[in-house]
Amino acid sequence: MPIPILVVDDSPMARKMLIKALPLSWDVDITQAGNGEEALAAYRAGKADIMFLDLTMPVMDGFQVLEALQKEGLNSFVIVVSADIQPIAQERVKKLGAMAFVRKPVASDVIESVLKQYGIVL
Amino acid sequence: MSVAPLTEEQRDAMQEITNIAMGQAGSMLATLLGTFVNLSVPRINVLALSEVAGAIGSMVGRNIEITAVRQSFHGYLRGEAIVIYGRDGCKELGDLMGYDEVLDRADEIELLLDVSNILVGACLGGINDQIKGITEAQGAGELSFSAPSLMAEGVPAEVLIDPDKLTWTHALLLEVNFTLEGRDFISHLCMLMPEHSIEKVRNILDEFIASL
Repeated sequence: MPIPILVVDDSPMARKMLIKALPLSWDVDITQAGNGEEALAAYRAGKADIMFLDLTMPVMDGFQVLEALQKEGLNSFVIVVSADIQPIAQERVKKLGAMAFVRKPVASDVIESVLKQYGIVL
Repeated sequence: MSVAPLTEEQRDAMQEITNIAMGQAGSMLATLLGTFVNLSVPRINVLALSEVAGAIGSMVGRNIEITAVRQSFHGYLRGEAIVIYGRDGCKELGDLMGYDEVLDRADEIELLLDVSNILVGACLGGINDQIKGITEAQGAGELSFSAPSLMAEGVPAEVLIDPDKLTWTHALLLEVNFTLEGRDFISHLCMLMPEHSIEKVRNILDEFIASL
């Protein structure tokens, strides 16, 4: 069974870059969301066992998504993918339940090592 | 002569490249000021020169007095980088950086210029890092920038750019802003590029998109 993963970014190009950086061998069912509200809808529809989440977005940003997920009882493995590289931003998202932080522009070896670290891919 | 807006794909690519560059600038500002910096979603627009002043006015807020620092950049792209602060930007920066003694005016301005230089350097450097694979292949050379100078102090944002002083017909305007939690401080970083640089930017973005 492919793993449902959700890629959340307001930029279609950023989503494309991230999807391209995922391991080729990984059997996934990819859903995309352009803002936090769309992300929560996809999460509630069971499309986000793993979520790649941008922080700086219109409508509803990544911090707000994490807060909402916490309220609903976080049940998604969230990897924050952001250009916001402030150490405080990384601390905050981890406190809000994110498992990992990957800086933009994404590199495929970094994504792979995070996924391996948590045993998501072998 | 009119200059076409960026295509949706070009605008998206420019926005994402700017977003990444701004993240680096914001992180430096956070380190300097010892506080968390909120980053905006970058705004990207191609405008007729006569529209630029009004666009900056509506981004910053009408009837708000500002202090601004400018730096020009040149090389394969050229244009103006402008950092806009509130009217009391000089004093606010001094307070945020924890100077106990009252800074004299020369020190305040030096601090303002230094911080502006760091923001502009990080942002332009961040953009350059992402596109240099393409510009180097085009034999485009380096990007360099002038020393920062105080552009205006205590003027309304909408009169900051005087279209009569520029020979451009159009400008690509990139804008990002940094706000601090629990503080009034705000800083807008604007980059303006004239029509011939817009065409180069289009080429670079098209190659960037094609490389993905």
